[in-house]
Amino acid sequence: MSGHECDDALTNLYHYLDQEMERLSSEAIRSHLEDCTGCGRSFDFEARLKIVVRERLAEDVPTEFLERLRQALARESYLS
Amino acid sequence: MADQADFERDAMQYTRQLYSAAMRMTRNPSDAEDLVQETYLKAYRAYHTFQEGTNLKAWLYRILTNTFINKYRRESRRPSEVDLGSVEDLYLYRRIGSEESAEAARTTEDRVLEGLVESDIKKAVEDLPENFRLPVLLADLEGFSYKEIAEILDIPIGTVMSRLHRGRKAMQKSLWEYAVKRGLVPEGAERP
Repeated sequence: MSGHECDDALTNLYHYLDQEMERLSSEAIRSHLEDCTGCGRSFDFEARLKIVVRERLAEDVPTEFLERLRQALARESYLS
Repeated sequence: MADQADFERDAMQYTRQLYSAAMRMTRNPSDAEDLVQETYLKAYRAYHTFQEGTNLKAWLYRILTNTFINKYRRESRRPSEVDLGSVEDLYLYRRIGSEESAEAARTTEDRVLEGLVESDIKKAVEDLPENFRLPVLLADLEGFSYKEIAEILDIPIGTVMSRLHRGRKAMQKSLWEYAVKRGLVPEGAERP
């Protein structure tokens, strides 16, 4: 399938994945994605990419830093 | 009004997120630590002004981004552009599709999504000019809504949307280059 429904879906791809769409338009896209394999696959890919990006951007906080941060806050509360 | 005595209990749960964002903003651990520490000290001092029941995480991020913008930013205040040339939507997806079967395309997609390592993704974000990098971090690392991002960065919601759109495209362009460099995609695999 390709045509104006696909165009609508693609225009709103990220608004849809970011959950920023009004409920009704969101449902229109969801039903288009069920009918249209091409759009369904591209949305699926973008959704997976979004998760990969989020997971691989996360950092572990160094323990020594956390300790220093707690000490700095304790000092601050002692002084205030 | 929030009670300062509750600050540690309420705010310390966000250290991992704030530190992750600070790492991508400053691009090095020592500045990231300073930025996070300064954020927490400022937040502690101002905690009596925080309206209990409102969004504490967004409040902390607002302090983090303001501190970063005022103190660590070395780039000029003039908004810089990303060079998108002819970068179209679905840039990465369209490039990794195969002309063979859907299963073959799916295999390439899986290989790319698994094969892009942390450093590729971090670098792709860090290379964005700051006015694109901050909205992308807030949306994609933290999952803030467009409205929250607009409030944190103090820019109109339409600006948030256009910067996110352009920032993500530029990021996909870098990710494609990393995928090619790592040999994750077959040659000439562009989707028709």
